[in-house]
Amino acid sequence: MSANPETLVAIFVMALAAMVAKGGGFLSMRWLGRHRFIVAILDHAPGAVLVSAAVVPLTQGGGAFLAGAVAAAVVTRAFGGFTPGLFAAVGAVALARWAGIT
Amino acid sequence: MSLSARVTWRSFQAGALRMVLPGLASLPFGIGFGVAAAQKGLSAFETTLMSFTVMAGTSQMVALDVWAQPLPLIALAVSVFVANLRYFVMGAALQPYMPHLPWWLQPTVWYATVDQNWALNIAEYRRGEGDLGKFLGGGFIMACIWSGSTLVGHLAAGGVLSGPGTARRFGLDFVAIAVFVAVATIMFRGRRDLAPWAVAIAAALASKWLIGGNWYIVIGGLAGGIYGALRDMKKRDVRQS
Repeated sequence: MSANPETLVAIFVMALAAMVAKGGGFLSMRWLGRHRFIVAILDHAPGAVLVSAAVVPLTQGGGAFLAGAVAAAVVTRAFGGFTPGLFAAVGAVALARWAGIT
Repeated sequence: MSLSARVTWRSFQAGALRMVLPGLASLPFGIGFGVAAAQKGLSAFETTLMSFTVMAGTSQMVALDVWAQPLPLIALAVSVFVANLRYFVMGAALQPYMPHLPWWLQPTVWYATVDQNWALNIAEYRRGEGDLGKFLGGGFIMACIWSGSTLVGHLAAGGVLSGPGTARRFGLDFVAIAVFVAVATIMFRGRRDLAPWAVAIAAALASKWLIGGNWYIVIGGLAGGIYGALRDMKKRDVRQS
């Protein structure tokens, strides 16, 4: 187990920067959260963040990823739960690749 | 609706268990990061410590890019902060559910704010379900799996585990995206979400095309959120007048 003091300082600085980014939004809401426009944004932001995070890798991932996304949505909707959708998605991607769809 | 700040061992365990599979999705990336960190001269301990404390894969990978001797501390801080800006939006969305969270518990919530853990828990909070224990348990298990995978990558540096082929064959490289799709399906509220989500998708694709990097999450999220807010407020004003 070896550690260079200078590297440890760099890791501490990086951890601090990550916490500032993560905590900054949380803390700023203490002051901004009473504003009705901000409340309205945050009503829509979680869904918008999710679809934004999914759409770019989906467009870059090819047919197997699209099959996985369809399986995730259909099975999640049918069973009303997160875990079956997750397994169905992974299975669909594996199957699609096995069938030669990349 | 605000959550109770009480954390029980049972809910912590439940939150941890359900995040095991999404956590495993980080294995190939973690192993890749471990290999890259070894090549940059970081020790196994330093690599694992960085992963456990920073716990944000993309920003760690970006930081390795600027890693040089002497260590550029300001460049490292700025690159990690910018690469994690999406968490700023996620943290802001989380706060209204925890308005009375004691100050000493807040850093643990910030720390546990990781993409899939945030997505799954905020979907529950919006339905008036879930609790803080599940959030912290999920974050903890994801930190353990992420740190462990980077350690494995460091130890295996360049070995068979560094190849992404195994995870790809079993579709594990899709788990992270599958989490977003499944949670978005759960959160979908019908027609009222269609237009804001379409705006978010268009903005995300445009920003990926024009700017590159992972800004598309922040830009798409903000664009969809602002569009939805403007539309809802306009509707409300019309109803009131």
